[in-house]
Amino acid sequence: MEDEPNIVISLKFLLENAGFNVDVETNGKDALNHIFQQPPSVLVLDVMLPELDGFEILKRVRTDPRVNRLPVLMLTAKGQREDQKNAIEFGADKFITKPFSNAEVVEAVESLVSI
Amino acid sequence: MKTILGARIRKRRRELDVTQANLADRIGISSSYLNLIEHNKRRVSGKLLHKIAQALNLDLEDLDGAVERRLLSRLDEIADLPEFAHIGVESERTGELIGRYPGWARAVAALARSERESTEIARALADRLTHDTFLGDSVHKILSGIASVRSSGEILVHFPDMETEQRDQFNRIIYDECQNLTSVGEALATYFDKSDEAERVLTPQDEVETFFESRANHFAEIEAAADAVKLSTDSAYAGTRKQLAAAIVEREFGDLIKSLLENGAHFETEIAHTKAREALVEYAVEAILVPMQRFESAALESAFDIEFLAESFAVEMRTICHRLTALPRRREFPRFGHYLTNAAGTIISMRSLQGLLSPRYAAACPLWVLYRAQQSPETVLRQRALFPSGRQYVFLARARHRGQTGFGQPRHYVTDMLALTEEDAAKTVYAPADNVPVERVGATCRSCPRESCDHRVADPLTG
Repeated sequence: MEDEPNIVISLKFLLENAGFNVDVETNGKDALNHIFQQPPSVLVLDVMLPELDGFEILKRVRTDPRVNRLPVLMLTAKGQREDQKNAIEFGADKFITKPFSNAEVVEAVESLVSI
Repeated sequence: MKTILGARIRKRRRELDVTQANLADRIGISSSYLNLIEHNKRRVSGKLLHKIAQALNLDLEDLDGAVERRLLSRLDEIADLPEFAHIGVESERTGELIGRYPGWARAVAALARSERESTEIARALADRLTHDTFLGDSVHKILSGIASVRSSGEILVHFPDMETEQRDQFNRIIYDECQNLTSVGEALATYFDKSDEAERVLTPQDEVETFFESRANHFAEIEAAADAVKLSTDSAYAGTRKQLAAAIVEREFGDLIKSLLENGAHFETEIAHTKAREALVEYAVEAILVPMQRFESAALESAFDIEFLAESFAVEMRTICHRLTALPRRREFPRFGHYLTNAAGTIISMRSLQGLLSPRYAAACPLWVLYRAQQSPETVLRQRALFPSGRQYVFLARARHRGQTGFGQPRHYVTDMLALTEEDAAKTVYAPADNVPVERVGATCRSCPRESCDHRVADPLTG
């Protein structure tokens, strides 16, 4: 779930190359509907999303018994310590900071799938 | 004030080399009574004061102390500053200081004011760097841009066998993101260049405000054009009239607004230009709905009663506030500043009042009446606000809900706040009587010297 189209293209390419099926949503509301209707094995969630931000989605995911065990990887930005603190507080399993390396993302997603 | 008056009379009498007996004789009182006056043991009536002023060849104002009263309140303010607590300023003798050494007293007040203003400006700039949304957005854009370039670059290197179409796509991403990063970098460079300049034009919104300030918030060209427009009288509802006025402005005012923008200011950014255009369109619509000539008379007649004016012209409060800031600079008109804030206290838009430092990016002093206004919406609240710099203002705040609402639906309030100096307030229906308490406020806690204020919030960095 990421609203910046260029990052989405890269992440999709990388994760598909690593063997995952990738669904993309670029706004918070659609993302939440998607999660409830077809829960993924791992959720990669950006903090900045239009309509509902990443934290709001995370909070709703964690309080809904249907999806509250879903592994979540949160994308935050370097230097935004508040975001990183919130990510952990609201129940993200991992967070990585932009600008990240491709290997970091793929490794983080793989580690979450194997949980 | 008595202290000043007695000392003043004695000083002036001695300057003129007149004896107590001589002066007493000329004004028809006994010299012992004059002696009591000079030692501040007797009050002086208006008639007698007038005679003394004449005999001493002074203006009544010099003696009755309107000037001194202001000076006294400034010096009292300085004497109470926490940083001077250990010095033991003789605050009980301030009146005597003003009476005997008026020049020194003025110099101290002027120095203190200039020091306070400089400090407030420095701290406001520091606040901007910490809370500025422009900087926050820029950092976010830069990091996202770098993330994208880095990711695409790694893909191109690590997947050499990908199809040409995909390769082109990642090359294109790198190219686009570099263009974006260049724009962000340029905007940041302009921003930092500008932060050194005296006029402190920093963000697009600041540019628009500076443009309005340079015209004293008044565009005579638009007023003249608006004056020629006749809205048909059968459109009785404000909404309808507003839409009608907006359509006329869009159709007929385009060239005028364009020329004002081209000749009036140089905008650093496209977005500032767009925002300035929007502000001028709004100005023109309001000038049609509330024609200046009629507004001037109605404002004077009602002594600038904002609720009365909003009702008379059947427009929103915000429009009346804007029209008040647009009044031409004439003696009979007070100068108004207008601040529109949301429930979080952030200033959404403003037509600033010269000299009043307003925190834009951080929350203002919690003692400002604009926060109280949201507790009693749709009511005008008045506040006499004394700043640490010694400047005294009258704030008028009224909260109104914005957006659609209905039963069981939340109401989201915004507050219009008008600011004017205490002297200007005297020309209005909001003139405070002398016994209306003066509230000590500041700009923000961070820039406020009032250490013992009960509402002070600790600085997040220094505690």
